Amino acid sequence: MRLVVRIVVSTLLLAALFGLCVHYGGAYDDNWPHPTGDQLGAEYDAYAGERVLLIGSVQSVDGETIVIHVTDSADEVAAELEIDGVDEPVAPGGTVQVYGVLESDRTMTADETVVVDRDANAYGYKLGTSIVGVLLAIGYFGRHWTVNPRTLAVEPRETETTELVEGADDG
Amino acid sequence: MAELLSHVLAAYALGTVVSWRLEWVTKRWVAVAMIGALLPDLNRIGLFVTDATLESVLGVPFSVDAIHTLGGVVLLSAIGAMVVADQHRRVFGVLLAGALSHLLVDAVKAYADGAAGAWLYPVTWARHPTPNLYVSSDPAVLAVVGVTALLVWWTDRTRGEER
Repeated sequence: MRLVVRIVVSTLLLAALFGLCVHYGGAYDDNWPHPTGDQLGAEYDAYAGERVLLIGSVQSVDGETIVIHVTDSADEVAAELEIDGVDEPVAPGGTVQVYGVLESDRTMTADETVVVDRDANAYGYKLGTSIVGVLLAIGYFGRHWTVNPRTLAVEPRETETTELVEGADDG
Repeated sequence: MAELLSHVLAAYALGTVVSWRLEWVTKRWVAVAMIGALLPDLNRIGLFVTDATLESVLGVPFSVDAIHTLGGVVLLSAIGAMVVADQHRRVFGVLLAGALSHLLVDAVKAYADGAAGAWLYPVTWARHPTPNLYVSSDPAVLAVVGVTALLVWWTDRTRGEER
C-alpha cells in the first residue's frame, strides 16, 4: 500500500479511535451500574442505601475496618469511606474493591471484598513486571521485523525467510 | 488487567501452539501477536494524564479506557496494520488475536460484584459473570503463565530439532 494511502487510512482510524474515546467517556457514567468517583463526589446522598461496587486506595487499617479514598476522573479524592468487614490482609497504600450497601454516614459493611493490591509493593510489582513484558514484546518483535527508512514501513527482516533460520532462531 | 508480562507470555504460548498447526504462523507472526497483547493496556497513558485533564483540554467527554475494549482494540489493530508495507490483513488479524487474548484473560479476573468489566463495548455495555480467578498483583498468575510459556518454548524447540 502506498505511503499516502497508509497515512490517510491511519488518520481516519485515529479519528475513529478518538470518537470512540469521546463516546465512551460520555456514555460511561450512564452505563456503568455503579457510581463513578465523579458521581459519588457530586451527589453522594443519591447513592446512600444502594448496593454498590467501589474501588479505593487504602488509607488506614484497624482490624477488619479500613478507610479508603475513592478518586474521581481527575485523580482527586471524591469520597473518604469507612469500610467494615474486610477480612483479607491489606495495608495502607493498597487498593481494594468493596461491594456492599453504602450508608449515608459514609460507611459500608462490605459483603464482598477483592484485594487488588495488598500494599504499595503489589502495585510496584505490577508496574515492574509490565515494563519487562513491554520490553520482551518489543525486543522479540525487533528480532523479526525492522523499519525500512525508504518506505517508512515496518517490514520483515530478510534473514528469517528460510525454514532453516526459523528453526535455529530460538536456539 | 493482569500485568503485561503474563499477557505477553500468554500470547507467545498461544501463538506458538497455533504455529504447530498453521504453517504460515512463523515466529515473525508470534512476535506480532505479542505486540497485539500490549494494545489494550495503551489505556495506561492514563497514568500520565488524567481523563479530567484531557476533557478540559479537548472540551468534550473523554476516556482513554475505551482502548481497553473490543472496539478499541479493533481500531488499534487496524492502525497497526497500516504501519507495515504489505500483508495488512494478516497483520490486522494477528494483532487483534493478541489483543483479544489479553481481553479474554482479563475477563476472568476478580470483581467484588461478580461481573467482569464492560470490555465488550461498543457491542454491549453488558458485564458477563466472572469466575473471579485472580487479581493482577498475584504472582501465581505469572508463575502459571510463565511455566506454560516455558513448556511451550521447550516443546517448540524440540520439534524444531526433530525436523
